Amino acid sequence: MIHQPPAGARDLFPLEVAQKCWINDRLQEKFQKWGYKRIVTSTLEWLDTLTAGGAIKPSTVIQLQNNSEKTLGLRPELTASIARAAVTRMAGNTYPQRLCYRANVFRNPSQNRHGRQLEFYQAGVELLFAGGVLADAEILLLLADCLEDLGIQNWHLLLGDAGLTRSLLNIFPNSLRQQVRYCLANLDRITLENLPLEPALKEQALLLFDLRGLPKEVLAKVAHLDLDDTAKTIVNNLKSLIDLLNHSSPVPITLDLSLVQTLDYYTGIVFEVVSYQGNQSHIIGQGGRYDRLLGLYHPQGETSPGIGFAFNIEDLHSCLLPTGQLPQQTLASDWLVIPQTPQANGAAFIHAQKLRNAQPTVRVELDLGGRSSEEIKEYARTCRIKNLVWIQEDGTAITESI
Amino acid sequence: MITIALPKGALLTDSINLFKNIGLDFSAFLDKSNRQLQISDPTNTAKALLVRAQDVPVYIEYGQAQLGIVGYDVLKEKQPSVANLADLKFGYCRMSVAVPKASPYRSSVELPPHGRVASKSVNCARDYFRSIDLPVEIVPLYGSVELGPITGMSEAIVDLVSTGRTLKENGLIEIDVLYESTARLIAHPLSYRLNTDNLSDWIAKLRVALLTSCD
Repeated sequence: MIHQPPAGARDLFPLEVAQKCWINDRLQEKFQKWGYKRIVTSTLEWLDTLTAGGAIKPSTVIQLQNNSEKTLGLRPELTASIARAAVTRMAGNTYPQRLCYRANVFRNPSQNRHGRQLEFYQAGVELLFAGGVLADAEILLLLADCLEDLGIQNWHLLLGDAGLTRSLLNIFPNSLRQQVRYCLANLDRITLENLPLEPALKEQALLLFDLRGLPKEVLAKVAHLDLDDTAKTIVNNLKSLIDLLNHSSPVPITLDLSLVQTLDYYTGIVFEVVSYQGNQSHIIGQGGRYDRLLGLYHPQGETSPGIGFAFNIEDLHSCLLPTGQLPQQTLASDWLVIPQTPQANGAAFIHAQKLRNAQPTVRVELDLGGRSSEEIKEYARTCRIKNLVWIQEDGTAITESI
Repeated sequence: MITIALPKGALLTDSINLFKNIGLDFSAFLDKSNRQLQISDPTNTAKALLVRAQDVPVYIEYGQAQLGIVGYDVLKEKQPSVANLADLKFGYCRMSVAVPKASPYRSSVELPPHGRVASKSVNCARDYFRSIDLPVEIVPLYGSVELGPITGMSEAIVDLVSTGRTLKENGLIEIDVLYESTARLIAHPLSYRLNTDNLSDWIAKLRVALLTSCD
């Protein structure tokens, strides 16, 4: 019998691990520079916890059975876990909380997607117990800072606002509102055109369908709509946010007010980061503001604001691979220590340790015997090891460079 | 440069005419001697891919083409994540249930429970029979579906009907219509949202061309 990983799962070998670490280490370093602290939550959660926000369907979670009373699931994202952990276990801490993570997530591919990836790696942040334009701006500027640091070319931010879209949808009759929302989320103009709406409302729906473009132009169009007070506040906040972003670093933004999901837990800005290379587009990250999610996990239902994003490591890797910035080889050992006789083994271990202690980043490996000196040299050449050191019984070390 | 996925078969001529109206000429695909599957228009402003109708949404979903034309029947069957932008009105046909004329059945609900229904559109057929709460076995076929009831393999078929001639010549009659289908303009969702290569301009031009062709 041949044991293979399940369809959609895979192994990562040292070179790919080195490349993905290169990406993730840089991200984590950035997160820390902005004051974020790493949190590790459980890979397993109750299915109820994962789906409480309403955005995650149980069918997209890989579910596990054991003899516990409820169904377990592998986390499809970190936000629910971090929200749960933060409100129950970090209560009484100082606010705001800046948390970051690097973790794997799992998604059950839909039925007709045989072999589609089911395990993903993400790096992300959550800024909890903080609302307002400043927190939004921090998150978007941190995101831009990360991408600049990684050297990602041709990226674009698709920015929406779940709160504003929700409020713009309020003019539609209750019975049709969810369908209008579905049409916007899934870009289904044909269904939208055929909904039984009054002509004026239909016109409004079609306007909403194409309410995207340069932020300034979109906001000017929105200003002409009949807005309620909530919407007016949101529009003003969006304006301040865009100004703040333009002032700090020019982020390429498309404001897209139909960027919503049919169901989601976002309440404020929502965004996707898209990178274009030739004909290939990658969604390299996504996130948004969720001001009602924390309350779902709070024992007394007390809610608090939160915002965050996650980078998709596989997509970042695909974008960076052709640029040649990623490590092209795994790091070679600097030294190969070879005991010349079995009696020299002890001395060889001592010498190797001495070499390791001499420099902080040096890599020293031991020859495990059974090879001729020619074979050892051939091995060193193949593995790009520059220095050999032959150890004799009395501890004498003879160095040889290759 | 935008790339457009065009469906081989019944919708091809109308699709090429539509793009010709907005200044993109892919009529080289209509030339019988043509074997190329990817061409540029003579002005070199857009590329077109010639693919099987069922594969149009696949190229769009993965972003290899930004615009495409495909029948609603394919979208309904495959449920791809693409932007549905316009009903192009041409390529009318309907997805119907048909049975041998000589059979006693005159509507779908009369079909025997656990009977067999042959179809190319297994998802549509399954959903339909679930919606009328009739348990049937769907027999997947890839063509000449009419042979199902003729040979006695199935009681009925679910298939696309345009003029009804094939059914008639094979002694079958339509007893129910699942839905009607026409050609649709679809787009890669991310390209549409980001308006890459001024996609919205092309779509606007297509809408104008559609309006004038309807007059």
